[in-house]
Amino acid sequence: MSHFLDRLTFFSRPKEAFAGGHGVMTTEDRSWEDGYRKRWQHDKIVRSTHGVNCTGSCSWKVYVKGGIVTWETQQTDYPRTRPDLPNHEPRGCARGASYSWYLYSGNRVKYPLIRARLLKLWRAARKTMTPVAAWRSIVEDKARRASYVEQRGLGGFVRAGWDEANELVAAANAYTARTYGPDRVFGFSPIPAMSMVSYAAGARYLSLLGGVCMSFYDWYCDLPPASPQTWGEQTDVPESADWYNSGFLILWGSNVPQTRTPDAHFYTEVRYKGAKSVVICPDYSEASKFADLWVSPKQGTDAALAMAMGHVILREFHVDRKVDYFNDYVRQYTDMPFLVRLVKSEGRLVPERFVRASDFATSLDETNNPEWKTVAYDEASGAIVVPNGSIGFRWGEKGKWNLEERDTAGRDTRLKLSLAEIRDELAEVAFPYFGNREHDHFQGTDHPDILTRRVPAKRVMLKDGETLVASVYDLFVANYGIDRGFGGDHLATGYDQNEPYTPAWAEQITGVPRDQIITVAREFARNAEKTKGRSMVIVGAGLNHWYHMDMNYRGIINMLVMCGCVGQSGGGWSHYVGQEKLRPQSGWLPLAFGLDWNRPPRQMNSTSAFYAHTDQWRYETLDVKEILSPTAPEGAWDGALIDYNVRAERMGWLPSAPQLETNPLDVAKLASAAGLAPKDYVAGALKSGELKLSCDDPDHPRNWPRNMFVWRSNLLGASGKGHEYFLKHLLGTKHGVLGKDLGETGGTRPREVKWHDEAPEGKLDLLVTLDFRMSTTCMYSDVVLPTATWYEKNDLNTSDMHPFIHPLSAAVDPVWESRSDWEIYKGLAKAFSAVAPEVLGVEQDVVLTPIMHDTGGELAQPFDVKDWKAGEIGAIPGRTMPAVTVVERDYPNLYKRFTSLGPLMTTLGNGGKGMSWNTDHEVELLKTLNGVVTEPGPTEGLPRIDDAIDACEVILSLAPETNGEVAVKAWASLEGFTGRDHTHLALPKEDEKIRFRDVVAQPRKIISSPIWSGLESEKVCYNACYTNVHELIPWRTLTGRQQLYQDHLWMRAFGEGFCVYRPPIDTKTVKPVIDRKPNGNASVVLNFITPHQKWGIHSTYTDNLLMLTLSRGGPIVWISEADAAGAGIVDNDWIEAFNSNGALVARAVVSQRVKRGMCMMYHAQEKIVNVPGSEQTGQRGGIHNSVTRVTLKPTHMIGGYAQQSYGFNYYGTVGSNRDEFVVIRKMSKIDWLDQPVNAIPVEAAE
Amino acid sequence: MKTFKILSALLSYPSDDLIAAASSFGVFLEAEAIVPPAHRRALADLIADIAAGDVYDLQERYGLLFDRSKTLSLHLFEHVHGESRDRGQAMVDLKATYEAAGLEIAANELPDFVPLFLEFLSTQPLEAARDLLGQPSHILAALGERLGQRRSRYRAVFDALVAIAAEAPSRAAVEALLEASDVDPMDLKALDAAWEEEEVRFGPGTQGQGACGQETLIARLRAARRKVDPALTHQNQGAPRHANP
Repeated sequence: MSHFLDRLTFFSRPKEAFAGGHGVMTTEDRSWEDGYRKRWQHDKIVRSTHGVNCTGSCSWKVYVKGGIVTWETQQTDYPRTRPDLPNHEPRGCARGASYSWYLYSGNRVKYPLIRARLLKLWRAARKTMTPVAAWRSIVEDKARRASYVEQRGLGGFVRAGWDEANELVAAANAYTARTYGPDRVFGFSPIPAMSMVSYAAGARYLSLLGGVCMSFYDWYCDLPPASPQTWGEQTDVPESADWYNSGFLILWGSNVPQTRTPDAHFYTEVRYKGAKSVVICPDYSEASKFADLWVSPKQGTDAALAMAMGHVILREFHVDRKVDYFNDYVRQYTDMPFLVRLVKSEGRLVPERFVRASDFATSLDETNNPEWKTVAYDEASGAIVVPNGSIGFRWGEKGKWNLEERDTAGRDTRLKLSLAEIRDELAEVAFPYFGNREHDHFQGTDHPDILTRRVPAKRVMLKDGETLVASVYDLFVANYGIDRGFGGDHLATGYDQNEPYTPAWAEQITGVPRDQIITVAREFARNAEKTKGRSMVIVGAGLNHWYHMDMNYRGIINMLVMCGCVGQSGGGWSHYVGQEKLRPQSGWLPLAFGLDWNRPPRQMNSTSAFYAHTDQWRYETLDVKEILSPTAPEGAWDGALIDYNVRAERMGWLPSAPQLETNPLDVAKLASAAGLAPKDYVAGALKSGELKLSCDDPDHPRNWPRNMFVWRSNLLGASGKGHEYFLKHLLGTKHGVLGKDLGETGGTRPREVKWHDEAPEGKLDLLVTLDFRMSTTCMYSDVVLPTATWYEKNDLNTSDMHPFIHPLSAAVDPVWESRSDWEIYKGLAKAFSAVAPEVLGVEQDVVLTPIMHDTGGELAQPFDVKDWKAGEIGAIPGRTMPAVTVVERDYPNLYKRFTSLGPLMTTLGNGGKGMSWNTDHEVELLKTLNGVVTEPGPTEGLPRIDDAIDACEVILSLAPETNGEVAVKAWASLEGFTGRDHTHLALPKEDEKIRFRDVVAQPRKIISSPIWSGLESEKVCYNACYTNVHELIPWRTLTGRQQLYQDHLWMRAFGEGFCVYRPPIDTKTVKPVIDRKPNGNASVVLNFITPHQKWGIHSTYTDNLLMLTLSRGGPIVWISEADAAGAGIVDNDWIEAFNSNGALVARAVVSQRVKRGMCMMYHAQEKIVNVPGSEQTGQRGGIHNSVTRVTLKPTHMIGGYAQQSYGFNYYGTVGSNRDEFVVIRKMSKIDWLDQPVNAIPVEAAE
Repeated sequence: MKTFKILSALLSYPSDDLIAAASSFGVFLEAEAIVPPAHRRALADLIADIAAGDVYDLQERYGLLFDRSKTLSLHLFEHVHGESRDRGQAMVDLKATYEAAGLEIAANELPDFVPLFLEFLSTQPLEAARDLLGQPSHILAALGERLGQRRSRYRAVFDALVAIAAEAPSRAAVEALLEASDVDPMDLKALDAAWEEEEVRFGPGTQGQGACGQETLIARLRAARRKVDPALTHQNQGAPRHANP
């Protein structure tokens, strides 16, 4: 029977039961559901991401309701990956998800703020004076200037209007440019890859002005100089998805789950696939939990560990048994077959420079750059040949700069790695040993300074007589202490012998059991052998922030190269520290540095600049003798570290800022008065002393930086190494420097730099910071400009961790009075153009630039180092001294230039990394896309760049990575150099043009371009050096190969021709203060380590209540249980850490996680949060950088020498800080200094 | 009502206009007599202070008090929702209240900014305004007390507001605010207590024995695996699901 009649046709029973009587329908009020619905209601979802200081570049959905940002969630619409590769999602971490509160936070800077004392002076002066005259009346009056300078950091801000603030800043800039020179206006901003338009806004303003853009990657000490040294590349790394292709992963000093959270899933996934993982890290870090084997070396001794692993790999895979794959790889892709001269120095033979074609009587028939072509023995012919691809082929000729196994005559070659079979003799060669240097806290061995090993050598007839030569391969193996039966001192046949670089030797230094070293090395190499190079090392700040970071890195690079891992999928060197690849770089450079209007821009390496201008050099404790090699070539290796920097500046190796004591706007006039071309005038006048380089006297008031902009950065809070020196000398305010300078201690003063007994305090006339929150840097500024947050502006992000380009887009308009960085600098440009005519018109600016990498100039001095000042060689601009260029600045039209794309894009075209191409098409495209300037004037008819989206389109249109047509042109340009076919790599994407709205719609993958060494395709993940290995494009080094031997004179002098172990330096900052102001408590001396934090947004922001709650609410220092017990410290005690650089106050976190002998303070904890006063300084306790000071390394100053030539953020001194030690002591009295000078005023009570 | 407008002006960033107008405030306050006389006297001191002050000094003081100190933020929801995501919804709701009254926010400010809120009240009938003011009265009271601790004359505004409000703040709510977010930085014991991490203990009857404690979870899992007695299940129907055994 059917239930037809039982069923209701027109009604339902509201109270019908269902689910077998378990469910019942009711009619109760459902308005309670609104609570839930409201939680998820929104008017729109906007795609944005987070800018600055996090490689994540994760796409976020930002929810907006009633014009208010209410929350964010992760975006999940990334294009799929290919089968058998996990997708990129999910991306975005819990810290990023707490960002939206920043928009409405109590910490938000809401209005333009100016120091009240300054504003009062300004308004008074402006009543009667024009803007520039008003500024002059303030800064040229000592008392007036001091009245606000000394207040820095002590509060006292009032609100100002935008027009007023802009006019004040513009007047200061114009005054400075007129009085001292535009190169006294500095700007610091980091990591352009994240919010590249915001970076470009400030850089464009500064560059059009002739101001100085300061580098960041080297200053942060995230630049690994080993990369340019070995590969001629700043940094290029595999994307995180490539971890999944690996079979053996070592995480070395990197903490992926904590600091690369959105990428960490690939690491987890590949372990499920069967990859083995070793984590090498002194402390039990988050990453250590992922390890199959956790190796815990003594901090700072990683090079010893890497050398011992290299020893095992060489012994088992290259010497005792030759693995064909490894053997062929090192033959074709490294400098190992190339020949090196062995010369006598102080009675010993030492490896000298590479043999060049020009050393032979006939120059081996080379006519173009024979001094820059390296040579090797060919196995087939037995003759010395000039293989293709060395740097001499890159410039001045076409078609032979490639890695085909051919010589210059086109004959096939097979280069000889070892000269053992064809040797004329076994030469006794001296190698330096540094592992015996005394250090209170690092274990050494007592092997001699010089280790003599016998190396197969040939006698070769060169122009200047018979010379002994050896191959890099034979020298390299000898350097590792491998006994091949040739004889010599301190060689090892077994791993248990205590000779330099054996596992037994490393065990003493690193504390790692030798079995672990042998096992890791063996498995690493065996995996690479079986998979053709799929062994990878992820390296990080834990290695690179040491003074001798190059040794840590080169030790690891050697392992990777020996095993043929570099340039292979799933293999290679993965350095993810502050790199944050700016993929559409060549489209961005013209926008950022105003290359469409003026070339070259002024760029400065920040480490050297801050070392000089914060006067850290006046407190230098490291004597050059302590780091000089026992095998240093003859010569006067004397002077202080800053002397080496000054020499490097005058030889054109490193940039200078300011450049000349004379205003560069006056130099062209002086030249024409002398009847000389500016270039010749500058060279002559420097020689005669008529012109002086600013670096010779950084404390002279004419050489001070006068105005400084900081944006997208918390320079003084997070990255100001030597914080207290910044406060004392650059800012001139209250500081906590505890040590004495060389004048007071009677130390040896520099020879090249003028010494003033009275050090200047307060060099800056004006510090301007753009930020959206009241950071430590804002506190010390004179003007604070409120900027838009990442959900209030349009911009672009790219990352090295994934191949997508992401937009930041404005979910809501900037709240309160804030504006985007682009609008702020545009406003400043407008104000500047308005005030400039008072003192500036169209001016000729003489710009000095160092010898640049990836230009023909990098072939400067091929053999020795000759100094024009010492009369060893003539002063030749661009060869033996900085290049000299005259740039025309049109100051009254600066705003017009800022907002249009200048004519040089059409007349000179565009390019990058040595390549160049025509951009006519792209300029036409931009004219139609952005519209043209219709107002009459110098920019009429040029493409507009009015708003940030216009600026994004400029980048995207000009860059090969986002415009397929440009990619094809770029590859074609490279074909001219290599003589090989490359355009096929981009032709399928020729019609693809990515625009801003495209990336707003969905993340887009970039297009493969020759600017980078990896490919982005359906077959492979992005992996660095992939095109070098697979497309035979040379590395941009002297030999054109991965260069394991560094033959520059300064490298040899400082003992780093080959990789060696060098213990950390002794900064000598503890002894002078250890007994200062005792408080009755015991103390302990610990190595001071500053890793990336867990509870901070993007390694920068910790002043968010969520972050503070998840950590401990204020500054903390982690110490081990043993050290804590020794000093009577228990968890959560207030402690003070101090040395002669300054003092900081924090709470102790006592943990088993930490290794004895070290302490850790996560960097970027703010001074504004929960910090009591210091017993040592009487000031509010410092930040993590209060106990640091940078120490320069001469080998990072080398220039004009192939890959060791300057490039912005590419090469130069780096700000290392991990060799520092501090005294840690429990505090006896906690003083919150709660009512200082200008704190909350206490009003009279009734 | 001018009274609310005056109180709004007093809590705004000091400007030359405010200084010029301040001397006329007293007359209106007297005339409207919404503020009780005792509080009017205290307000008069603040007004006199502003009327006679140097604009830079007044601005610096204001900035240090209200812009730089989170615990004295003039944004009401900073104190209720802090950095939680509920704050967005609360602001949306408040904005809707203004819109229902026919007013749109023209200034570049958030809906929960106290001077903005007070200006809104000045457009409402007195009784309605008193009611509305009653809602955040505990926040106003807490702000008043904190300003009192700093011996600031601005305290008078908040005391006046609390006195006007229809509903007196519950002492407990005020205490909760004062305790939760404004640990006196001079009071080390309080600070230590705020930062103290709970000691980790193991074993039965110790920490972690709440609803999500390991042992509770194990007990529940075991209970779930046991054979179900239908009679017992029936009896338990309707019992709150989250009650602990």
